[in-house]
Amino acid sequence: MVLAAKKDSGTSRTDLPQGPVFQNKKLKAFKENAPFLIMIFPAVLVVFLFNYLPIYGVLIAFQDFMPGDKILSDTTIWVGFDNFKRFFSDPQFWPLMKNTFLICIYGFIIGFPLPILVSLMLNSLKGKKTAKFLQTIFTAPHFISLVVLVGMLTLFFGRYGLVNNLVASGGGERYSYFLETGAFRPLYILSSNWQDFGWSAVIYIAALSNVDPQQHEAAILDGATRFQRVIHVDLPAIMPMISVMLIMSIGGLMGVGYEKALLMQTDGNLAVSELVSTYVYKRGLTGVPDQAYATAIGLFNSIINVVLLIIANTTSKKFSENSLW
Amino acid sequence: MSEVILKGLKKVYDNKVTAVHDVNLQIADKEFIVLVGPSGCGKSTTLRMVAGLEEISDGELYIDNRLVNDVAPKDRDIAMVFQNYALYPHMTVYDNLAFALKLRKTPKADIDKKVREVAEILDITQYLERKPKALSGGQRQRVAIGRAMVRDPKVFLMDEPLSNLDAKLRNQMRAEIIKLRSRINTTFMYVTHDQTEAMTLGDRIVIMKDGYVNQIGTPQEVFNRPVNLFVAGFIGMPVMNFFDNCRLLKENGKYLAEIRGVKFLLSDFQQKALTQNRAEPCEIVAGIRPQHVTVGEGELSAKIEVSEMMGSEYNIHARCGTDEVVMLIPTIDLTADVSMGKTVTFTTKPSLIQLFDKESGHNLIWYDEESAANDAPVCKTYTF
Repeated sequence: MVLAAKKDSGTSRTDLPQGPVFQNKKLKAFKENAPFLIMIFPAVLVVFLFNYLPIYGVLIAFQDFMPGDKILSDTTIWVGFDNFKRFFSDPQFWPLMKNTFLICIYGFIIGFPLPILVSLMLNSLKGKKTAKFLQTIFTAPHFISLVVLVGMLTLFFGRYGLVNNLVASGGGERYSYFLETGAFRPLYILSSNWQDFGWSAVIYIAALSNVDPQQHEAAILDGATRFQRVIHVDLPAIMPMISVMLIMSIGGLMGVGYEKALLMQTDGNLAVSELVSTYVYKRGLTGVPDQAYATAIGLFNSIINVVLLIIANTTSKKFSENSLW
Repeated sequence: MSEVILKGLKKVYDNKVTAVHDVNLQIADKEFIVLVGPSGCGKSTTLRMVAGLEEISDGELYIDNRLVNDVAPKDRDIAMVFQNYALYPHMTVYDNLAFALKLRKTPKADIDKKVREVAEILDITQYLERKPKALSGGQRQRVAIGRAMVRDPKVFLMDEPLSNLDAKLRNQMRAEIIKLRSRINTTFMYVTHDQTEAMTLGDRIVIMKDGYVNQIGTPQEVFNRPVNLFVAGFIGMPVMNFFDNCRLLKENGKYLAEIRGVKFLLSDFQQKALTQNRAEPCEIVAGIRPQHVTVGEGELSAKIEVSEMMGSEYNIHARCGTDEVVMLIPTIDLTADVSMGKTVTFTTKPSLIQLFDKESGHNLIWYDEESAANDAPVCKTYTF
């Protein structure tokens, strides 16, 4: 009996029936999940078409590619890492990296904690109607298009915009915000944060709504002030969400888009407004397109982002219980 | 001294809904009082008003002879145990226990001493470095109780603390609370919807319904002398049997109860109570507890519909006319055939019959000594 029991307990997965019974289980599981698989299929298709399939195009970063060439053909000229080497030796390399890094890091320093603070503040408001109203006010700018936003910036900060008019009416000198290098980054970062802090706060507000009210009540009885409750109840409750958002933000740190920078770009501020993304756009799609070179720059930028994402995720995993994978 | 007095306490919400009507209650120092009633009866709201988590709309609340209506919860010297434990998930058990003391800027050495002392009492010392999510429901509940204990409060409030536990653990924790109470010896206010918890834990029970207090009394009092149909039906397991369309008769100056055509001459106590309450012959609802039914004797009969063997006893569900009758028969005493479909005779001691006014639901044989002394029919003063 003992021997039999030992034999049974020693059954491994390789001992499991691999034949029709196992296949039937798989088929059964597939049938059970079929409605969900059908529902998720369009999303998978879209991601595949627009996120995975284009990856094939990065091959041109390793080719001497001219517009009209096929990506893979007998006449393809492979140049290895030449395009990357060209970028590293490009006089624009360091200014581009510096501009992109600074605009991202400043934006991150201001933009990351802002929605957290706003969500905690809105959640702590006694009047829920006021909180809802403020949330709507804060969220609304997110729906303004970039073109309109930059138009508004021009109206406010243009040479003959509202701000300059006020300064001039007070006897001050007009300042060309769009022509001076010193004004580009503050304008870019503050307007971006103004536009998105309310929207970004939504995710934290949702997380805060899951906090058990009894925890607040327990803290009240323990003698915690409103601020102490925010620190000891609310903040820890959204910490997992903060970690995830932090990892994602760091992962996209160098991935600033080109649209707004291009819209705000002038010859006067080009020294600070030329970013990796705007440079890729210009080299790849304007003038005499050098798509292989632009792709190499873009790929290099993406690799930096992936490395940052992995570092952030690993660090978060090590020091907290939260990570993306 | 940590006496709690609720004087005409009332809670009206912004939408004009009155959750608690005029609650008057005097809780003695070191008394364990249980507020019990169905969902929405106002028991938790009453407790939360005592805690300071709900504003008091009207009335006065005294803790230790101090009016505390406008005193902040932290300054009332109370502690509360919540249904969902309300532990801080990011803190260890130690930090959870120490939190209130840290906020009060208690010296570290004192905090450590107190935390370890309480952990020892609750047998959670080995879990002090764990986070709440690594604990079982019972262990979490101990931590929640410990968090309240470290503060040495004057009043200990508990809001359905055992509701989230499974039946076995609930029984264990109930026993733990009884032991705990004897150790910490303070005033307890305990809210539950479970009448078993109320009966086993409370020195006195406050039975509430629709925001009104229906009866206050010791477990024995509310079980033996329920003030009305609601209390009679709420307290006791299985639920009291009610016989509709019965009559209270008066023959030769003596009161009798007629149940399904069978007359029961009531006991001296019942005669006295009915006289005190100036009862006139009328239609009544008679109540007999399942434990008080004697099977195989008497003139009442019922057809058995379900017979449940519970081990030490049988739970028999039978049909007596339009009424369902539940009878508890110890297996050892069982002589009659109680299989399904059989008709059995049953009776009860007349002194164990409860007589409820058909219209108001008041128990006609309920009165208190004070009312008797004043020659007043007390049950008429209750409004529901």
